[in-house]
Order: sequence, then structure tokens, then C-alpha cells
Amino acid sequence: MRLLRSEAIKLISVRTTWSMLGIGLLVEALFAGLYVGLVSLEDVGPIREVQTSTGLLMVMLLVLGVLSITTEFRHGTASTTFLASPQRYPVLVAKLGAMLAVGLLAGLAFVAVNGGLALPLFSSREGSLPPAGEIVSVYAGVVVSFALLCAFGLGVGAIVRNQVGAIIAALAFFFILSPLPELLPGNVGDYFPAQAIGSLHGLPEATEEGLGQIAGGFVLAAWSLGLWLIGTVLIRRRDLNE
Amino acid sequence: MPELEVRHLSKRYGKTLAVDDLSFSVDSGRVTGFLGPNGAGKTTTMRALLGLIRPSAGEALVEGQPPAQMTDPLRVVGVALEATAFHPGRSGRNHLRVLAAAAGIDGSRVEEVLAMVELSDAADRRVKGYSLGMRQRLALAAALLGEPRILILDEPANGLDPQGMRWLRDLLRAQASEGRTVLVSSHLLSEVAQTADELIVIRDGRLVAKASLDEFTSGEASQLRVRCSDPARLAEALPARGAGVARDGDAALLVGGTNGAAIGELALELGIAIHELTPLRSSLEERFLELTGEESAG
Repeated sequence: MRLLRSEAIKLISVRTTWSMLGIGLLVEALFAGLYVGLVSLEDVGPIREVQTSTGLLMVMLLVLGVLSITTEFRHGTASTTFLASPQRYPVLVAKLGAMLAVGLLAGLAFVAVNGGLALPLFSSREGSLPPAGEIVSVYAGVVVSFALLCAFGLGVGAIVRNQVGAIIAALAFFFILSPLPELLPGNVGDYFPAQAIGSLHGLPEATEEGLGQIAGGFVLAAWSLGLWLIGTVLIRRRDLNE
Repeated sequence: MPELEVRHLSKRYGKTLAVDDLSFSVDSGRVTGFLGPNGAGKTTTMRALLGLIRPSAGEALVEGQPPAQMTDPLRVVGVALEATAFHPGRSGRNHLRVLAAAAGIDGSRVEEVLAMVELSDAADRRVKGYSLGMRQRLALAAALLGEPRILILDEPANGLDPQGMRWLRDLLRAQASEGRTVLVSSHLLSEVAQTADELIVIRDGRLVAKASLDEFTSGEASQLRVRCSDPARLAEALPARGAGVARDGDAALLVGGTNGAAIGELALELGIAIHELTPLRSSLEERFLELTGEESAG
């Protein structure tokens, strides 16, 4: 708990956290507004509208996850951080907890903006909304995916450690490389993060051909926790010269 | 039991042997200066003592234990490794709050240490805007946070003005007089000469000297000038007793590696009359440069 508090203070005491989440939510609101202005929710379904609005926030959360550990190496605070916990892994457990919490809170903020802005506008324009169950399941998928994205970034950051390298690695792997296996025959692609997050969000082309929403969630969780575990093992063994 | 102990410590980075079979111990109640030119292995040794790096061979012990086994580390050992090790976007106060939270230290202690290092007024500014001296003081505040029994400070005087140096000296002396163990590294002898009770000098990762400041400055290990009735015979006999001999002009000898008593007794055995026996005291700076093999800049 001590370490979790320490991680929480780290996050809220730098502007980066606030500006990245702020910009992500602002862009979300803009996209939601655009959608309301341009298309009919009945035609595209809530999932499309939500999916489009999450784009930048997903990038921001992935990067925040990376930064939560790489800044320690970049600015040399890793020594003091791990000195307070010589076994080292409790720090990574605390960071995982903190990043899951950041993702969940960002997800709830997303839902608040989307539900508070887009839905009422759609509703007033179209007179009706998709079934509540459909909307709730999309929102739940988004909240869970945000938490797992933060953890994914933390895992990559713990493995790579170099800040710029880790940001590039996380973004390139998640958004560029991991959609590629989808082109392979068979269903290998379903088990990569890009497709899994599509399933988790309830995206029709992902869920209809590939994994269901819950299975997609488990696949993404396995990636995030797997990377975190590898990163934790590496950091436990590594010499800390930063 | 020494508070800090290094036993046959070696650390290899690729082809470089940063620390090479180094052994020493540090006791409480005094300020120990850890001296060596840049790149001598001081920081590596300190990091090994803190469990941040894994020794290639040998061990480093804190209160007789491997550092990784410390249960409440910030209350055992306070550390200032680098004056630059702060997130530039975080305020000084928040930096300390992060550490205090991790160690379960009360927030009021943060204010105490801020006052101790005279940073209370600047505490809410982001570290980005701090001078090097302010960063050094913040690093010290972090080291003092847990009221630790041991202080390990890497080049804490870097970037301090003369006033700051004096303040640091007083602080370290006070900490030692309260029974704490203080290990301070420096590459400049003058920085620790007025503070340290004990000096550990290393070079190329090896121990060069470990002595009290008095021993270090006195002639114990340096040369003596000897004039006597038969310099040639004395010069012949001395090497057998482990002494090094050089001629100083026609009549005098320069003898190293022994002491006045041993020379006198040898002369008595040989029936040689000693006319002069003068310890040649070199200044602290010269001794240091001599020990670390660096040329004096002057």
C-alpha cells in the first residue's frame, strides 16, 4: 500500500499525466461531436462511434504506461525508487496497480464524456438509442481495455527501459505489427493485441469472425500481464546504474 | 561489526573491471571520505553497497547483511547518489513526498528535512528550475528523510558554493557526532580534508590506502631523510628490512616504506651513528595525487 501511494503521488505530481489524459478526452469529445453531426447512430451502431473516439486516448494510455517506468530510468529516480524496496518486484506490483487504476479512471472519464455528450445529442436528434445492453457492453469493453493498455505499456517500458525506444516499440507493436497476423490464414491474428482489443470493444468484424468480447479481454490481459512479468523478472536481475 | 563492509568486491562491465578485489570497512560515529579520481570505481562500489548492482565477485554488506535483505531500507541507509536524479517536472516537495510515502514516513518529516536543507521556500517549484546547489541540497534532504543510521553520499559537494560547503561540513560532522555512519565520496581531496576522520583511497577499482586523516597526513607512510656516519652500508642493509632507499645528494638517504624507529634500531645494530632523521611530510594533496598516480596540475 505504501508503494501504491508513492506511485500515485508520482503520477499526479507531474503535468504529463494530466495533459495527456486531458488531450485524449478533448479529442474524444470532438470525435463524438463530429459523429453526432455527420452520421446516424442507428446506421453505424454505438460501437463505431465509440471506437473512433477512443483512438487518441488509447495511444495516450499506452504511452503513459511506458512512461510510468521509463521516466525512472531517464531521470535517474530508479535508484531511489528501488532502494526503498530492495526486492524490486513490489515496486512493479505497485506500478501495475497504479496503471490499472489510471486506465480504469480514464475509461470511466471516457464513458462520462461519451455518455454525457454523445448519447444525449444522438437521442435528441434521432429520438431513440440502441438497446442499453449494447451500449453498456461497449462501454465496459472500453474501460477494461484502457486498464490493460496501461499495463501493456508498463510491461514494454520495463523490458526496454529506454524511453524513446520503449514508446516506439509499444506503439509500433500494438498499432502496426500486431494487426499484421490478421492477414495470415487461420485465426492466429485473433490472438494478437490489435484484434483482441477489437473483440474486447465488441467490434463486429472482430467478434463475428474471431473471439468474443470476453475471450478478447482475456487475450489482451494475457499479453499485458505476460509483458509485465517478463519486465519484472528482467528488472529484478538487472544492475541499476540509473 | 562495521556498519558498512566490502569484501573482495569485484564488478565487471564487459571488458572493464570497474572494481577489482576491493575490501574495506566503515565504522559508525565518524565521517569516512571515499576518495579517488573520476572513474576509480567509487560510484560502482556505493551502488553495490546499496544492492543496486550485483557484484561479479565478493560481497557488500550493510550492518553485516546483504543490502537486498534490508527490511526498512530508508531508515537504515540514506542515500544521495546523483544530484541530477529527479524528475524535472516534479516539485522538490513532491519528490520527497514520493519517497516518504514509499517508506511509510510521515509528511511532517518532509517539511522538517526541507527546512534542514533550507529549501522550504523553493519546495513547490519544479526541480527543472533548481540550481545544481539546490539539487544537491534536495538530494541530501532525501537522504536524511528516514533519519537513517548510515549516510552514503556520492560527491555531495559538487556544485556547492563555499558557504554551502561549510554548511555541508557542519551537517556531516553533526550526523557523525550523533553516532551515525557517514561515507562521502569525492574526487577532490580538499573537499573532504576538513570533514573526514578517515580516508579510503581507491584507484582503478583497487584500494590504494585506508588511513585516518592523521595517519594520512603524517610521515608514517611517506619518506624520511637520513644522514648518518656510513650511508653506503645503511643503504645496503635497509632493503632487507622492507624499506626502499634512494640517495639524496652525496651524504643523505631518502628512505620509504618504514619508520624512524626501525631505521634507528638498524643503525644501532650496525654501529652507525644517525646524524639526522627527518620525516618528509608531503601535503595531503600531494599524497593523494601520489597515491592515485595523478600528476599535479601545477
